[in-house]
Amino acid sequence: MSNNIDFKELWNRGKANAPDVSEIFAKANQLNRKTRNKIWRGNIILSLTIIFMIYIWWHYQPELITTKIGLTLVILAIIFFLISTNQMFPLLAKTDEETDSHQFLEQMLRIKQKQEFINNQMLSAYFIFLSIGIFLYMIEYAGRGSLLFKILAYGITFAWMAFNWFYVRVKAAKKQRQAVNEIISRLEVVNQQLLE
Amino acid sequence: MVFEDIYREYWNKVFRICMGYVNDADLAKDIAQEIFIIIWKKLPTFRNESAIGTWIYRIASNNCLRQIERQSRMPKTELPEQIEDISEPDKEWQSKFLYKCIAELPETDRIIISLELEDVKQAEIAKITGLSESNVRVKIYRIKEKLTQKFKQYEQ
Repeated sequence: MSNNIDFKELWNRGKANAPDVSEIFAKANQLNRKTRNKIWRGNIILSLTIIFMIYIWWHYQPELITTKIGLTLVILAIIFFLISTNQMFPLLAKTDEETDSHQFLEQMLRIKQKQEFINNQMLSAYFIFLSIGIFLYMIEYAGRGSLLFKILAYGITFAWMAFNWFYVRVKAAKKQRQAVNEIISRLEVVNQQLLE
Repeated sequence: MVFEDIYREYWNKVFRICMGYVNDADLAKDIAQEIFIIIWKKLPTFRNESAIGTWIYRIASNNCLRQIERQSRMPKTELPEQIEDISEPDKEWQSKFLYKCIAELPETDRIIISLELEDVKQAEIAKITGLSESNVRVKIYRIKEKLTQKFKQYEQ
């Protein structure tokens, strides 16, 4: 082979039959539907939980204010969760593909960092609201039992909460952080390529 | 400009850029389709601030870069093994080897060289990537040198 390899000629050999345009349109619609379904599924399940709790409230007519506050906090925890997950979608969809590569990479980095922040905050807030909510909710019903019952009820509940807070939350946060951090560091490496 | 015309004119160009990025025909086709979906959606808001080509290549390059968040490793499988023994490799094989070499470059280099081979002017490549023109020139020179080296190494 000579010194002058005609890269352009070799490059132009790369071809693929273009799928019919209608296939592009169909795929676009399918994609839209998928995203919409994904958002809906999460929202419906959690909304049903909220409705269920409002039903408990209405059906059992709790007497103590602590029970009501407890239920409110649990519902707030779920709403908080919903808001933050729903917030992610527009945030992620907001990438501007029409900008140059450098800007695009910086933009992706910003989004990932924001995502990591939201993940962390959301998870902590969710756990705190939920734990306090359950604690308050229990006061009325645990208070009706004997001392042993109270100790057992609170002991088990707190052991469960501690397990969630120190183990499940930490593990979930770590897993999320790892996934996002990996992407962030890859993005940083690629962005660095442009600066060299 | 009508989407169908753009699609006809740019399909192979966009496909080749994706192919240079991932060196996997099926994946490249998928990414190219995604790129055309975005083009189709955004075409009504396209203002003639830049040439349509630059605009399309920007969307294409950025969507290739988006693969960074989707997969950790790039599949670079498309090189038939038996053919490697042939003493005088034919053009078809050389073309495949070229795509393989390009897909092994750093991510942004893949895009720069793909655009260059697609006959995009260096000033436009600068606009697409956000680099300075002189920087693009230097990079293209280095990448071509690297590719030539790989081809030569292989011949020996």
